[in-house]
Amino acid sequence: MTLKMTRTFTIILLLLVTGSCMKYGPSETEAFLPGPSSKGLFIVNEGNFMYGNASLTYYDPQSGNVENEVFIRANGINLGDVAQSMTIHNGLGYIVVNNSGVIFVIDPATFRLKGNITGLISPRHIHFVSQNKAYVTDLYREKITIIDPGTYTVTGSINTTGHRSTEEMVQWKNDLFVSCWSYDNKILVVDTQTDTVTDSIEVGNQPSRMILDKNNKIWCAASGEIYRINPDKRTVEKIFTVTDDASYSYLEINASKDTLYILNRDVWRMAADDEKFPAQPFIRNRNSRYYGLAVDPATSHIYVADAIDYVQPGKIYRFDPDGTPVDTLTAGINPGAFCFQ
Amino acid sequence: MKYITLLYWVLFCSFQLNAQDTVQVRQLDSIRIVAQRRLRDMGVQKTSLDSAGLRNDITGSLAQVLSQNSTVFIKSYGRATLSTASFRGTSPSHTQVTWNGMKLNSPMLGMVDFSIIPSYFIDEAHLYHGPGSVIVASGGLGGAIALSTRTIPEEGLHLHFIQGIGSFRTFDDFLRVSFGKNRWKTSTRIYYTSSANDYIYTNYRKKIFYYDQQGNITGFEYPREQNQNGSFLDFHVLQDIDFNGSGWGNWNLSAWYSRTDRGIPLLNVDYKENTSVRNNQRENAFRGVIRWRKLQQYSKWEAKAGYTYTDLLYEYKRDMGDNQWANMVHAQSYVNTFFSRLETEWYINKWMFSGNLTVNQHFVTSLDNAVVSVEGKQNIMGYEQARVEASGFLSVKYRPAERLGFSVDVRKDLYGREFTPLTPAFFAEYLVSRRGEVVLKASAARNFRYPTLNDLYFMPGGNPDLKPEQGITFDGGITTTHKETRYSWNGSVTGFYSLIDNWIVWLPTFKGFWSPVNVKQVKSYGTEINGSMAVKLNKNWKLSADGHFAWTKSINLGDPVNWADQAIGKQLVYIPEYSSAFTGRISWKAWTFMYQWTYYSERFTTSSNQTDSRIGVLSPYFMNDISLETAIRLPHLVINLKGIVRNLFNEEYESVLARPMPGINYTISIGISPL
Repeated sequence: MTLKMTRTFTIILLLLVTGSCMKYGPSETEAFLPGPSSKGLFIVNEGNFMYGNASLTYYDPQSGNVENEVFIRANGINLGDVAQSMTIHNGLGYIVVNNSGVIFVIDPATFRLKGNITGLISPRHIHFVSQNKAYVTDLYREKITIIDPGTYTVTGSINTTGHRSTEEMVQWKNDLFVSCWSYDNKILVVDTQTDTVTDSIEVGNQPSRMILDKNNKIWCAASGEIYRINPDKRTVEKIFTVTDDASYSYLEINASKDTLYILNRDVWRMAADDEKFPAQPFIRNRNSRYYGLAVDPATSHIYVADAIDYVQPGKIYRFDPDGTPVDTLTAGINPGAFCFQ
Repeated sequence: MKYITLLYWVLFCSFQLNAQDTVQVRQLDSIRIVAQRRLRDMGVQKTSLDSAGLRNDITGSLAQVLSQNSTVFIKSYGRATLSTASFRGTSPSHTQVTWNGMKLNSPMLGMVDFSIIPSYFIDEAHLYHGPGSVIVASGGLGGAIALSTRTIPEEGLHLHFIQGIGSFRTFDDFLRVSFGKNRWKTSTRIYYTSSANDYIYTNYRKKIFYYDQQGNITGFEYPREQNQNGSFLDFHVLQDIDFNGSGWGNWNLSAWYSRTDRGIPLLNVDYKENTSVRNNQRENAFRGVIRWRKLQQYSKWEAKAGYTYTDLLYEYKRDMGDNQWANMVHAQSYVNTFFSRLETEWYINKWMFSGNLTVNQHFVTSLDNAVVSVEGKQNIMGYEQARVEASGFLSVKYRPAERLGFSVDVRKDLYGREFTPLTPAFFAEYLVSRRGEVVLKASAARNFRYPTLNDLYFMPGGNPDLKPEQGITFDGGITTTHKETRYSWNGSVTGFYSLIDNWIVWLPTFKGFWSPVNVKQVKSYGTEINGSMAVKLNKNWKLSADGHFAWTKSINLGDPVNWADQAIGKQLVYIPEYSSAFTGRISWKAWTFMYQWTYYSERFTTSSNQTDSRIGVLSPYFMNDISLETAIRLPHLVINLKGIVRNLFNEEYESVLARPMPGINYTISIGISPL
């Protein structure tokens, strides 16, 4: 009995020791050839906070081809924690990864890294002022960081005293309008020549997305309302109410910059010249938890992101300018931002 | 006759022997003890950990002990960071935990962090799987863990000191002073641990690239990084006092103070400089319980009163330069809880009747004062709430024949002004064979878990309209036990099934913050297998082993969010389908060599169980640890020496996404006990 037990014991021990090796280590890389159209759409998938599972999806609107996780597949490293936005400038893609505190610079044709920018706290968006100057907003800093996009280095900062969070940016002439999103209600005006805050405009709570229309008016979404702002006078001209419950709205504009698209449960459409918010939505919500909105600057096709349950790859619904469904694709977890090539 | 009953008693509860039992033994005749014991846990699926299992490793927390000695799944975010326990594929808040009868689950968060409970501070741990949790508390939709402390039974002065020194500048100090004379017994324990916790790992999630003049990549290497911001410093002190007032009953006091200060390590995908941000969690906690117990010939009365104080500060700060730190998050919470419990048990022939009433009054304040208001001033955001929670429990156990027993239990809870529906539980067992003590067990229960205070009132997002989660659970199994002088073994196989409705999940809202909702229906089923054996080969050699295996399906059966939802019918996030642990010991004279092995199958990080992803699956986890231990007996002193090697094969791994874990690491400890 005891001998048998000893033998069994030894066998179990040997089995355990031999069958225990974890699969972990380097990720393989793939070579992506530059796409035929070079008119693709990047979808920035936020991932889950503190999961480090952000990813980048590439979609070719002509062929309908989708490639998921292109960043890790091309570079063998993770995109990081909470990818926030992507901007293409001078043929390079700048992906801002919020909670990783990094901006990755990639070649949009091959998705290969060209460099990265660090020394940031909680970066949100990047705006290019000139060849060697770009601004980066931050969620947890009373500063806008100035970087040199040529050398990928931090070169300075703009104090935004009293405003801990800076979010979206839109430029009119030499003035940059910056929304202060987290627990704030201001749009700051920054002189891009002197890198100083010169003025501010009060809007509703939590101002976020801003765009410039064909009439040179700035539109800003803040807690269930849309603000039309005259950037020369720096005044609010008109407030449009989207919903009464102060919920978050996404805001985009079409190719000719004359039609606004607003996402707040449903998708709404209004002309930049309209003085009244439409009574009926343009595209009704199909029981989706919408997470992002984009309008193709070339074709005015509309893209709406659906996060589903926030812990599985989201869906992207593509509509033509009349709101007719064109395509549905699967992206990554929490697709929140888009970038047209 | 007396011999047989004694043998029964040894078989059934040899490793549950404790000081209170000793009192019972003295007071009650042995036949009654057998009946009592077997009635109390009748039909219940229970894992009991004795002090030998708990005292394995001075650097170990209860989290480590549970993952090694039970089928409970421990999700650990890293070394000395949040470790939660879940039974049978449920969530950590479905595990109810008591300490000397008082609830340890935070009334705000609902769960317990087992990484901050030193295993040397616990003398007994009983794990109630599934329906059995109703006996301990309500809300244990997965199970319940009852932890307790006590004085040592021996009289006189006893000292025990342990010094541990380990990798990553880790130091552990433990001192226990016990004294017993006549009717008094006292035990004081102090534990202090600190670690730089700055292990170095190769970061495969980042690359250092080399570029040529044109900006093309010419090469790369994986950076060797240090675990950043992971240092910790914990201090605990525990006092137990027993007074045997004979006719006046037994009095017992337990008081535990702990202070933990822990860094929250940066993710391996974080590019911020360690010096630019600081992320810390500090907790001060005091728990005190006073107990009175009176045993009469066929009855027991027990009363408890207790108090818990916890203040928890979570801060995330950034460096503004010149060593000035600004708060990004400064979340502070205060919990004051007053606890009382009255309990009675009655034995009448083949019947046992018991009942208890527990009342907890919570006062909670939760604040985040890093929030900046619209006016740009510091603003305080949070909530202040008081809630009374009461739970009444009645139980009838009946053993019509020696081999057969039944039990019917009911529980009802009040939280705030709401009542949960009645929670019934049924247990049955049948002794199939005396040879090998083969017992069939079955149980079923309905259960409820009401929302936590954060679920209801958290600012922003708290949802006061939440309904309690409700579950129904069944299990059945077979156990066998055998003990002889030279060898012993026991084993159990259990199957379980449970269905949980109104599962509470926090989800983002249209308003930009998160809010809890009752959504999912979750079905979980599976098997738990436990076994252990010990052989005394000869005078000098001993062998022992124990193993645990669980197969757990935990399936989301909720309504799909929309047509695109791929999560229905899939395994819950981070719940492994298979888990297993094995411990083997070989002893020769005063030397013991121990080998421990732990395994979890792959875990999904997406609700749709995405497998075509490079970032959605954590590959199977295997861990191998060894230790060698000896005791040196000197005329007035026993010295214990122990060396531990963890992660024997120097595995590089993550067990939670983006959380790098340490490679091979070592601890040596010396224990001194004067005789």
